[in-house]
Amino acid sequence: MTMSQATAPAAEPASPDSPAGGKDGRTAERSVVRRLLGRPEVGALIAAVGVYVFFFAVAPPFREASSLATVLYQASVMGIMTLPVALLMIGGEFDLSAGVAVTTSALTAAILSYQLTVNVWTGVIVALIASLAVGAFNGWLLIKTGLPSFLVTLGSFLILQGANLAVTKIFTGNVASDSISDMDGFDQAKSVFASEISIGGVNFKITIFYWLVFAALATWLLLRTKFGNWIFAVGGNQDSARAVGVPVKFTKIALFMGVGLGAWFVGMHLLFSFNTVQSGEGVGNEFLYIIAAVIGGCLLTGGYGSAVGPVIGAFIFGMVSQGIVYANWNPDWFKAFLGVMLLLAALVNLWVRRQATRR
Amino acid sequence: MTSNGNDKGKGTATGGTAVKDAPEDGAPLVELRAAGKSYGNVRALHGVDLTVRPGQVTCVLGDNGAGKSTLIKIVSGLHQHTEGEFLVDGEAVRFSTPREALDRGIATVYQDLATVPLMPVWRNFFLGSELTRGPWPLRRLDIERMKKTADEELRAMGIVLDDLEQPIGTLSGGQRQCVAIARAVHFGARVLILDEPTAALGVKQSGVVLKYIAAARDRGLGVIFITHNPHHAYMVGDHFSVLRLGTLELSAARSEITVEELTNHMAGGAELTALKHELAQVRGVDVAELPGEEDVQAPAAASAEASSGASSEKTS
Amino acid sequence: MDRTFRPRSRRARRGAPLVALAAASALLIAGCSSSSGGKKAEERAADAAAGKADTPRMTVALVTHQAPGDTFWDIVRKGAQAAADKDNVELVYSADPNAGNQANFVQNAIDQKVDGIAVTLAKPDAMKDVIAKAEKAGIPVVGINSGMDRWQSLGLLSFFGQDESVAGEALGKKLNETGAKHAVCVIHEQGNVGLESRCAGVKKTFEGETETLNVNGTDMPSVKSTITAKLKQDSSIDEVVTLGAPFAMTAVQSVADAGGKAKIATFDMNKELTSAIKKGDIEFAVDQQPYLQGYLAIDSLWLYENNGNYSGGGEQPVLTGPAFVDGSNVDTVAEYAAKGTR
Repeated sequence: MTMSQATAPAAEPASPDSPAGGKDGRTAERSVVRRLLGRPEVGALIAAVGVYVFFFAVAPPFREASSLATVLYQASVMGIMTLPVALLMIGGEFDLSAGVAVTTSALTAAILSYQLTVNVWTGVIVALIASLAVGAFNGWLLIKTGLPSFLVTLGSFLILQGANLAVTKIFTGNVASDSISDMDGFDQAKSVFASEISIGGVNFKITIFYWLVFAALATWLLLRTKFGNWIFAVGGNQDSARAVGVPVKFTKIALFMGVGLGAWFVGMHLLFSFNTVQSGEGVGNEFLYIIAAVIGGCLLTGGYGSAVGPVIGAFIFGMVSQGIVYANWNPDWFKAFLGVMLLLAALVNLWVRRQATRR
Repeated sequence: MTSNGNDKGKGTATGGTAVKDAPEDGAPLVELRAAGKSYGNVRALHGVDLTVRPGQVTCVLGDNGAGKSTLIKIVSGLHQHTEGEFLVDGEAVRFSTPREALDRGIATVYQDLATVPLMPVWRNFFLGSELTRGPWPLRRLDIERMKKTADEELRAMGIVLDDLEQPIGTLSGGQRQCVAIARAVHFGARVLILDEPTAALGVKQSGVVLKYIAAARDRGLGVIFITHNPHHAYMVGDHFSVLRLGTLELSAARSEITVEELTNHMAGGAELTALKHELAQVRGVDVAELPGEEDVQAPAAASAEASSGASSEKTS
Repeated sequence: MDRTFRPRSRRARRGAPLVALAAASALLIAGCSSSSGGKKAEERAADAAAGKADTPRMTVALVTHQAPGDTFWDIVRKGAQAAADKDNVELVYSADPNAGNQANFVQNAIDQKVDGIAVTLAKPDAMKDVIAKAEKAGIPVVGINSGMDRWQSLGLLSFFGQDESVAGEALGKKLNETGAKHAVCVIHEQGNVGLESRCAGVKKTFEGETETLNVNGTDMPSVKSTITAKLKQDSSIDEVVTLGAPFAMTAVQSVADAGGKAKIATFDMNKELTSAIKKGDIEFAVDQQPYLQGYLAIDSLWLYENNGNYSGGGEQPVLTGPAFVDGSNVDTVAEYAAKGTR
């Protein structure tokens, strides 16, 4: 098993045992460089290097290792959510409720632990069940109604947004959850979800490591398992997939539940690193996840992409949003700079892919 | 039109008497008896008889909306029949998913949904029936074995590809159909349903696909070949069933029918004759060259090869 | 034939884990009770009930530009509700951040023939027409929170609030006293007039250097990273000014991450903030006392209805802030903040 060979199925190098003779000679062999450029994440990688070099040149504080840790932290929290969202996109669906689902999960754990005065781990487990249930509900509704996922998850987005606020107010009388930082199990949970690891004097947040591990797992899942094959198939051509016996419903529901799992993990990180959760948080983040996945080379229409690409996409997003601050540009222009940089990254990505597919 | 009832009787009784490959006593793999399907109060298919034997190509012809797709949907397990009987190996069945049909050895190659275009050839080949190795949490795809098997199977069908990693969407339409056929054969299909495999193809590509249909037949598979091209059908077919407005208009063995008759049945037969009369009333339309009733009812005498060549010149 | 009962048996099998799960979670909840914190701790503190006026029942509408889930407005509403309960007033609360929708809610209140309206003037021009309509219908209108410069020209009865730039100026002056040299003002919602004028006020009176920093307020990890990045970019920053309580809490972590010694001052209050001030993580907070804004607005309408009083004499706004909360008075404030009224 070659984990390092993190590639998309559409562009893996030919296996050594592929036929040596008997070629019909009409399709010219694609060169190694071309083939490399054809991988979904390579365009994003080139863009990421470009963005890194750019900020390295213009922003002196950006060069420090601790700055990299800060950039990676933001990228990791976003990136952990981007992974399941990207898998779902490869599977041909969207989840607009992904942003508020994170808040829902954190609120569930916080309110349950506080109101019942139980060990916070109970809240953590119940939040996991709730998050998976939200994902399963999205998937089930999609399969049952046959409506586009854009519509179904827009509905659940609004439901969750409203429920986050209303339920929080019912229990706490406020719009934020009560602090659970003095409750049993909090420190333990904090060390799991929101601790730091010091490497060479620089503190790296634990989410960075989870992010990379999850990305490796997702890559393995996508390229080396049956389920990964099914994800590409249901996103690429759902009817074909069903016709050859791929369990389309199972695959889609599982993908939505994967988003639930990601929302739970990020939600727990939020809760244990900030002690309380504002019920209005998370709105709008669903688009950032989708944007990071697209920058990372996932097709909006499904059926194509990788798990490494979204990692790079989130990293680009983190670099740009922090780099602007490190470069000390006029903050009024922040959003405009962000937009320009992201557009440039996307264009580089597009250009690379054009180069790869041109014969 | 009298030939309707007669032909139907003949077809089921003596299916494939003059065909070289068809075993006379081959028990039917799939059989429809007066089968039909209604969607609400719309009757899409009614009273259809169809028999598929091993080593035989059964062609189902018909115009758009004649009920061809409904027929294959029933056999492939996408829909269920609402009247009549559907037998596999002489046993009455009712499939609720394509998976069940596959398990009974009935594989369908759809015209446009045969493959996932962006996925590599070998992944498409094994899609839905992937080979794996290792214990559960680490159970993974056996990529080496899958690539090797796919290459062998494709070569066995006479298909040679440069690179099994290329997305199947980059292959030509004919090649893609062939990969799908090879896939079905590999996964133990005994009955192969081909939904208009030549519809979107050029002359040369169609030839390639017809060659693989013949190859599949020679391996002893029963083939249901759906098409609206009577010439393609006549090149490989052993038995012909023409559907019209949801009912069986003609069912005949190759020995009982010429390609002209088949063409006429396809084109509408009796209705064409009526149309010819109407056109004759309009001045300036020359109806002398149009096929008439006598062609439709002509006895099946001419040899298949000769008539096929002649007719293709005449009608094209 | 076996098809008929196969699904049933499958469903039964599927039901079993569900039951097990429910049982397990019940056990879990019962067994894992926390010995510290939580709801039980909160319940130990009881609160007292207030008396009630015997004036005739009246209805007052409170229409704000609150976005869903904003802590601040919740406290305003609690103040209004407390006054309403005491004055035998029925409070009708509605809110929408979109000015057009907010105006519609005012129109809605007029249609209901309420006895008084309290309204925020985040976008005064959008509210001008409906306020004129209310006056035509003989309904008294008071302003709260924002719109200090326009309430008189719109013909409102009174105004209760904090001048954002005055509050900013006060914070700037306070920073001069603490000896800060270089402050960064964190705006969590880019383009919000109130937030911008707070920072502008700080800049006006603060003698050191003032910079602004825009962050994405709906994404806490990004807020945290961005403040950290800013502190690293310029190590001379010794004061972080946040414009909302949750962001001050996050800034505490950012300062720790950046390894700097910057202090933190903030606008607005909440429960967690009081303990952070107690611990010394946060230097001080400027409170505009939102509870007071809601309470006084409803109370003034009741007084006008029953006694013809004009709060502020009808000429001057009634200022509810800036009130400073720091180490010297945090203990008294903390008690009320815990109840969510400050």
